[in-house]
Amino acid sequence: MSAPSASRSGIDDEQLRPSATAAKAREPMNVLIVGVGGQGVIMVSKALAWLAQSKGFEVKQSEVHGMAKRGGTVFSHVRFGPQVWSPTIPKGEADILVALEWAEGLRWLPFLKPDTGIFICDTKRIVPPFACLNRRPGAPLRYSRETPAEVKAHVAEGYAIDATRMAEELGNERAANVVLIGALSTVLDFPAADWELALSAFVPKKTIAVNLDAFRLGRNWIDAARRTTTVAPEAGAPAANIPAPALVAYSVRLEITPQWCKSCDICVKLCPERCLRLNDERIVELAQPERCTGCRLCELLCPDFAIRVHLDAVANNAAAAQGATA
Amino acid sequence: MIVDSAAAFDVRDYLRQEMMPHFLCPGCGHGIALRALLWAIHEQGIDKDTLAVVSGIGCAGRLSAYIDANTFHVTHGRPLAYATGLALARPDLHVVVITGDGDCLAIGGNHLIHACRRNLKLTCLMLNNEVYGMTGGQVSPTTSESRLTSTTPHGNAEPRFDACALAAAAGASFVGREGTRHVPKLKELIRSGLVHPGFAFVEVLSDCTEIFGRKNELGSSPEMMLRQKSELRPSAYRDTVDTPFRSNDLPTGILTKTERPEYGAAYRKAAAAQRASMAKASAAKSAAAPAKGTP
Amino acid sequence: MNAVDTALAPKPAVRLISGNHACALGALAAGCRFFAGYPITPSSEIAERLSRLLPEVDGVFVQMEDEIASIAAVIGASMGGVKALTATSGPGFSLKQENIGYAAGAEIPCVIVNVMRGGPSTGMPTRPAQGDIMQARWGSHGDYPIVVLAPASVREIYDETMRAFDLAETCRTPVVLLYDQVIAQLAETVELGDTSDLARTERKWASGPRAAYQPYAADEDGIPAMSRPGAGYRVHTTGLNHAENGFPTQNPEAVARNLGRLLTKLDRHRDAIDSWQTINCDDAEVLIVAIGISARAATRALDIARARGVRAGLFRPITLWPFPETALREVAARARAVLVPEMNAGQLSLEVERILGGKRVEGMHRFNGEPITPAEIAARAESLAKAALAKETR
Repeated sequence: MSAPSASRSGIDDEQLRPSATAAKAREPMNVLIVGVGGQGVIMVSKALAWLAQSKGFEVKQSEVHGMAKRGGTVFSHVRFGPQVWSPTIPKGEADILVALEWAEGLRWLPFLKPDTGIFICDTKRIVPPFACLNRRPGAPLRYSRETPAEVKAHVAEGYAIDATRMAEELGNERAANVVLIGALSTVLDFPAADWELALSAFVPKKTIAVNLDAFRLGRNWIDAARRTTTVAPEAGAPAANIPAPALVAYSVRLEITPQWCKSCDICVKLCPERCLRLNDERIVELAQPERCTGCRLCELLCPDFAIRVHLDAVANNAAAAQGATA
Repeated sequence: MIVDSAAAFDVRDYLRQEMMPHFLCPGCGHGIALRALLWAIHEQGIDKDTLAVVSGIGCAGRLSAYIDANTFHVTHGRPLAYATGLALARPDLHVVVITGDGDCLAIGGNHLIHACRRNLKLTCLMLNNEVYGMTGGQVSPTTSESRLTSTTPHGNAEPRFDACALAAAAGASFVGREGTRHVPKLKELIRSGLVHPGFAFVEVLSDCTEIFGRKNELGSSPEMMLRQKSELRPSAYRDTVDTPFRSNDLPTGILTKTERPEYGAAYRKAAAAQRASMAKASAAKSAAAPAKGTP
Repeated sequence: MNAVDTALAPKPAVRLISGNHACALGALAAGCRFFAGYPITPSSEIAERLSRLLPEVDGVFVQMEDEIASIAAVIGASMGGVKALTATSGPGFSLKQENIGYAAGAEIPCVIVNVMRGGPSTGMPTRPAQGDIMQARWGSHGDYPIVVLAPASVREIYDETMRAFDLAETCRTPVVLLYDQVIAQLAETVELGDTSDLARTERKWASGPRAAYQPYAADEDGIPAMSRPGAGYRVHTTGLNHAENGFPTQNPEAVARNLGRLLTKLDRHRDAIDSWQTINCDDAEVLIVAIGISARAATRALDIARARGVRAGLFRPITLWPFPETALREVAARARAVLVPEMNAGQLSLEVERILGGKRVEGMHRFNGEPITPAEIAARAESLAKAALAKETR
């Protein structure tokens, strides 16, 4: 039984990361895997735990996925070694952080070992509802603005991979987590063949082929990244740039049929932005057009069909801004 | 996604605009229910020419007049019976019934339970506002206990019907309930009912603001609408204790969905088999006695 | 709904069938392809026959949950453009009245068979009566037109059932087929003949552009063209008083105009609607007016009376409503007295009295479930003739 060590199989010894030194042989290996519901966090951790167990290590895996079905945060702690006492990884003790979503990766960064921790992160952005500052379509989001280069400066070793796009190109977006397993496999010293065996056991039978492709793609990507750069790749390395979400800009227009309005006040009181009012004749009107987000609640709840919301797509944000200032 | 779906739908394409504004009171939930129905019809791609809407008497019954389709405003309590005849005679039509709580559960209760049992392809939309609004606010089979109406001056002492439980017990193969507060959910529920191959019963919890709401001091129209949220809960959470919901809450969502033979199709299939066996018998008969054939 | 009428395929020309059986066959021959009913004595045989025959011609039979549902389903089917029939008896007929009024008001063609049995209420389900004469005309609330046919034999039930459909379709009105329990369940040999080339009446369907179509705007014949669902007209049908566009109205002029047209629309079709039979009326001193089983007894009574020197004649309305008044007045003008035997407490006699003004009309009423016999009618006719003669010579 060999001691756990983070060593890239097939990669030169001088590139061993500090966390993989023999001095730490008695310490368990701490791998934290995070993401949001539906991405396959649990599958990654199960494959890793199964593999570690098959190698004779004691394994503890602890996960939280209560909000998984609603696109909420999901994380899994995997610890393995000759002996593991605690099922969870304390802050600052994770050897490896695998993140399937960019912002989730940033959220868990404090758990990485400051000096030696390895950060493997998909650049996929899944914007949570509470990141919406404004319900107006196309409005700016409160989503992390850190670039991969900035993040890498804060970790011992970091890889930002556009795994989702890579998986998409393979034909199955859902295999993104396996691309990341491929990346993970290069920093642990289990043989690639054993990883593939573990994967084949955990993915649906029909998708084994595509998942094995994804695994190899992830491995090769890390290899390529290392060859072209030093231990910590700088900005401009193969680390993908994070694409901004494709937001469509709308201009909102309310078409009100005053002769159908019966002054029931439902639209005024239920408007989330409070931008409607009844005028002197108690007919609805848009009092604060700039606040209207085009959510349609007034249209949907009007018992008298007096409101129609028009969302006219604007060519792009810049054009919209220009149009507004002109 | 709501934005996209709603953007393509203009309710006015399905309204007889010359009849607008409609005659419902300010804040009446029936208008919202009508929108949800028309939205579901639009999403389902049902042609207005093959859409037949049969409605009974009462506030809900008057809705059919505003729909740009083949509309039939029939007698009190009988829309399901009329619709049964229409749907059996014309399986090519898409028949939707709009009825109220009194229309459907009191005077028309017998037709409801048998429509549930028969499982003819019909979509029955029961707009429940807990009261006979058209006649001035009398107690209905769904009026909550202790509520004031013009015929329960000291509060309703009768327990109310749970229409969905009734329909399910009578064998309805699709039963669902939703409030007018949740228009996209209501639209989806109705749409599921429209595609259901059999009898679909959809109860819409609607607000009677001017009569019932006023009599019971339930607040203004927006307040009544907001109250729906605290009184309804999805069927998935039916196993929880009543708090924080009111004790008289009602579960929402699709409550029953089963596969049963659709009556019209089953009838036509049996009739076709009967005709085939008769044709076979008569062919055998003429083959057996060729000499006796008519010239 | 068209298919080979296997139900009407070659059958013996002469058959022994009951009145209810003849009604079912007549309906099929007329093109009826929908029946909804509810079991009730003594009309259930019609439903039983049609439950077997309708599927053979790609029609629909459905037994509904109650009498009201039955008439509602029939009107619903007819709204869909299919000729439809329901059959019932006294209590069920009462239950159907509201919706018969709907069919009359919204002008939806349909045929309702009412096999009369003893009343009131549950009455005598297996005994004959003629107590629904007034209900057939006035049973629903408000003013409305209706056609009521009163056949008196098995053969006539067959013919009148077909005519009922023809009138319902051409006049867009409910038509009641009214006959009593005796004729319903009486079997007679009849020759039905070949109906395969029978010209079937279709209702006047809307054609032309949708924008110009007014669902209740009538032609000169007083009958508006009906739109078939699916044909693109998308109209509104309601039991509320409506204007020409089909939508509810309370405008006094619009209501008066449209209701006025409805109430007089049958007048323009009296040639087709009116039907009666006269026997020995040319020289009759006593005119007997009767329908159904009472008319059959009266026919025999004519011979008995003649043998005793009383010149009696029979006027038998086949179309009971609208009553063939002109024909009755004409025939009655020559008679000294009028006798109305009927199995009720006096319904037909009321109408005859009304029509004939000051003329002496004697009712002969029985409501115990026993038909009035020819001898009784003849005896009454004889005494009536004598009394009338005595009055004149005094």
